[in-house]
Amino acid sequence: MTLSFAKRSSSRSEGRLLSWLLLPVALIALGPIVRLLLEGVGFGSGLTGAHLVEVISQGSTHRALVHSLVTAAGGTILSVLIGGTFAFLVALTNVRARGALVFCLMVPMMIPPQITALAWMQVTGPSSVMLKMVGLAPPLGSSQPLHSPGGIILLLGIQHASIVFLTLRAGLRQIPADLVEAARMSGAHGLRVWAQIVMPLTLPALGAGAAMAFVTALGNFGITAMLGIPARYSTLPTLIYQRLVGFGPSVLSEVAVLALLIGLVAISGVLLARWLLARRSHGLVGLSGQPLSISLGRARLPVEIALWTFIAAILALPLMALLFTSLIPAYGVSLTWTNMTFDAWVEALLRQPMTRRAYVNSISLAFGASAILMAVCLPLAWLMTRRPSRAARTIDVLADLPYALPGVVLSIACILAFLDLPFTDMTLYGTIWIILLAYLARFLVVMLRPVQASVGQLDPAMEEAASAAGARLGRRLRTIVLPLAAPAAAAGAILVFLTAVNELTVSALLWSSGTETLGVVIFNLEDSGETVMASALAMSIVLLIVFLMAGVQLLARRLPKGVVPWQS
Amino acid sequence: MAELIYSGLAKQFDGSARPALDGIDACIESGEFVALLGPSGCGKTTLLRLTAGFEEPTRGEIRMGDRQVAGPGHFVPPEDRGVGIVFQSYALWPHMTVAGNVSYPLKVRGLARAERTRRVEEALALTGLSEFADRAPAQLSGGQRQRVALARCLVAEPRAVLLDEPLANLDLALRASMQENFTAFHRRTGATMLYVTHDQGEALALASRVAVMEGGRIRQFAAPEVLYSEPVDCFVAGFVGDGAVVSARAAGPFDRSGLEVEALGMRVKVRSREALPTHLCIRPEDVSLTDEGGLRARVRGCTYQGGRFRVVVDAAGEDLVAFSRKRLVVGAQVGLRINRPWAFREPGVSAFPARVMVDA
Ligand SMILES: Nc1ncnc2c1ncn2[C@@H]1O[C@H](COP(=O)(O)OP(=O)(O)OP(=O)(O)O)[C@@H](O)[C@H]1O
Ligand SMILES: [Mg+2]
Repeated sequence: MTLSFAKRSSSRSEGRLLSWLLLPVALIALGPIVRLLLEGVGFGSGLTGAHLVEVISQGSTHRALVHSLVTAAGGTILSVLIGGTFAFLVALTNVRARGALVFCLMVPMMIPPQITALAWMQVTGPSSVMLKMVGLAPPLGSSQPLHSPGGIILLLGIQHASIVFLTLRAGLRQIPADLVEAARMSGAHGLRVWAQIVMPLTLPALGAGAAMAFVTALGNFGITAMLGIPARYSTLPTLIYQRLVGFGPSVLSEVAVLALLIGLVAISGVLLARWLLARRSHGLVGLSGQPLSISLGRARLPVEIALWTFIAAILALPLMALLFTSLIPAYGVSLTWTNMTFDAWVEALLRQPMTRRAYVNSISLAFGASAILMAVCLPLAWLMTRRPSRAARTIDVLADLPYALPGVVLSIACILAFLDLPFTDMTLYGTIWIILLAYLARFLVVMLRPVQASVGQLDPAMEEAASAAGARLGRRLRTIVLPLAAPAAAAGAILVFLTAVNELTVSALLWSSGTETLGVVIFNLEDSGETVMASALAMSIVLLIVFLMAGVQLLARRLPKGVVPWQS
Repeated sequence: MAELIYSGLAKQFDGSARPALDGIDACIESGEFVALLGPSGCGKTTLLRLTAGFEEPTRGEIRMGDRQVAGPGHFVPPEDRGVGIVFQSYALWPHMTVAGNVSYPLKVRGLARAERTRRVEEALALTGLSEFADRAPAQLSGGQRQRVALARCLVAEPRAVLLDEPLANLDLALRASMQENFTAFHRRTGATMLYVTHDQGEALALASRVAVMEGGRIRQFAAPEVLYSEPVDCFVAGFVGDGAVVSARAAGPFDRSGLEVEALGMRVKVRSREALPTHLCIRPEDVSLTDEGGLRARVRGCTYQGGRFRVVVDAAGEDLVAFSRKRLVVGAQVGLRINRPWAFREPGVSAFPARVMVDA
């Protein structure tokens, strides 16, 4: 009897031990955000709202807020037009080669915004190698047309079209064909079916996609910085960046207010999107049957040509321009067969200590973040699925926050939280660890959601059978849950790696000399006029991304639905 | 020796109004083959999961042999109970081969490789799976998967084997052959088996004793033939076997051979353990059809059942079931004799002797 008592407590304590995992996860993922909120109410300097009022009433704040809202709204409208058109055509009609179309539309989303901006700047402007090759370059001295609000809106629109596309397509797929058939039977035709049946049903999904595109555009730093700073057109993220870079941590409490402001707008957008999506899944539950498919008839070929031309324009054109720029001997020269050179590539990848360091830093950070998150998320997902305590559920809901909030907000929060480590006089600011911690917080959900989906699909009887066979919790996790959730964990790890390697927004505020990341280096190279080397480095990153995306694609068939972001 | 003892066992799931199990008292002998039979939602799976240790009881205790495995403030987790379980979904691990699945319990126990291989081969041979050892579970048929689950459960030589509707996913022919497998298995291993099913044919055919459950309680726990011929209440009488349940009143003195009751508007001699029964359970075997005399009845339905006809007749406003060698025409008048059916007293129904009612 005593024996079984002892065994019982050992088995219970295994479960309890695992619950302690929630504490560090909550501290790292949510601690910084709580710290930022406290800063807003004047934590440390007595509870005051004085600096809050002061910062908010400044003219620069107003201007940046208006600029942020204008560019994000403009970008969202463009995203809705592009993503919406693609979604309707791909999901509802009989166009061919949908898989390839979708993959190509998703590539801009996976390419980091600073590279998108750099690539597009090689398409237009007086120094464009591509335009010079066809003799269309504007005269020297004329300005870069993309260095303008219009340019920012254009690129934001292209970058986030895939967000609208994915949400809307998911919504369109839920419309059963019999609904449309019913409308046809009652005498409605083509456009009328579309306007009266399809559109109203998909409006919530469209709204949700638009809200998410808006939030993402609002937090965008790569494009607004690359195009806006030269044009002296600052948005909230670039204003925060410029203040912090210009004045250092002394302006922390001031930029914290700016961060809170942008965080507030972003959270409203996220909540709006969730509310719309919840409404959507309500009405259509229980309807089944064939998904809708409308035949385009003779218009099919022209439509396909139009779609692929568009893809070429937003994907192939800028990447080709980027490639051309990376191959010229010096900026401003045009490219010919004879002067084509890989010097910039060699310089960027092999010689320059800073770019090499950035590669090492970014890859180590991305690798470290995905390895740690994989180790944490498996037991975490198990805990949330099998032992849903109130604490676990709370973390489950709030884990989205560091990812949904704009990157600058998380960066400011991390600086505040880790500038003075509690109970020590150490600081993490300026070390690579603060970047790692910020990555862990930010990408937690990118790893957690696929693993959660996978663990949720596991028949609990699998684990119960192992438990009846005598296996304790640790062994069950290792021998049953881990192998079965491995494909999802691998996909999650690649996604984290991909996102972290591309990342600029967080590291732009957290880097210091020696801890620069790839995103930061591209930004700095372009800033200091080394466009050719920046292009070569950017091109090498694009190749790495496409390679990794192909890796996920290969895993796709063994993954639960919704894990691969471009295949939901 | 008693292997499994339940006393006052109750289980109430969080957030549900009705208890899933409501006071289970039962004792299962070592080496017995017991079936849990009952309609959907009566708590069979819950009882099984409590036995395995996947759920904790709300009240009461479970003992295995001389060891308490669940009771107030005391709980032995499934890993330490030494019971084997076969799930309805089989729950084979898809990332291991058949041999890998079967050897897992031995690996967990830390057995040496040679010993492990020997016992796995033995278990596979016993279930006729030797040639499938290296296949993945996905490459097996339903029946083969079922046998892998069984082999995996038995390789560890558990003191009790729990099976939750193990045949529910199989077709009829396969079911019959698997049933034979189970019986042969039980004979060979002598393990205590607790078998959940809602198919009464299966339960009556396989088990040495059957526990009929309803609403979280065991209504009757007895040998199949006893359940059939001597049900304790209306639910068991109606749920197990064919026939009719009609109300009755005692109309004579009670002795060892039974008593006389008033039912269907006449006096019937019945078997009983009660002096004041309230109902009769009239099996088809208890009814003989005659051409003249007896109770007059009208034929309401007649279906062929292979070798005989099942006839439903209306006698004094009650539907009775009888067997007949000849086909009868619906609407025809027949005579009935009822031969010593079983009388019982439904709990909670007040019983009066017929005479008292007549006098009143
Ligand atoms: N995890 C649970 N949480 C809440 N209620 C439960 C849970 N599991 C079972 N129940 C409830 O307990 C009751 C008994 O369920 P149980 O699964 O034991 O029925 P069963 O006899 O096995 O039925 P079936 O033949 O359909 O499998 C049901 O009313 C069921 O809804
Ligand atoms: Mg059940």
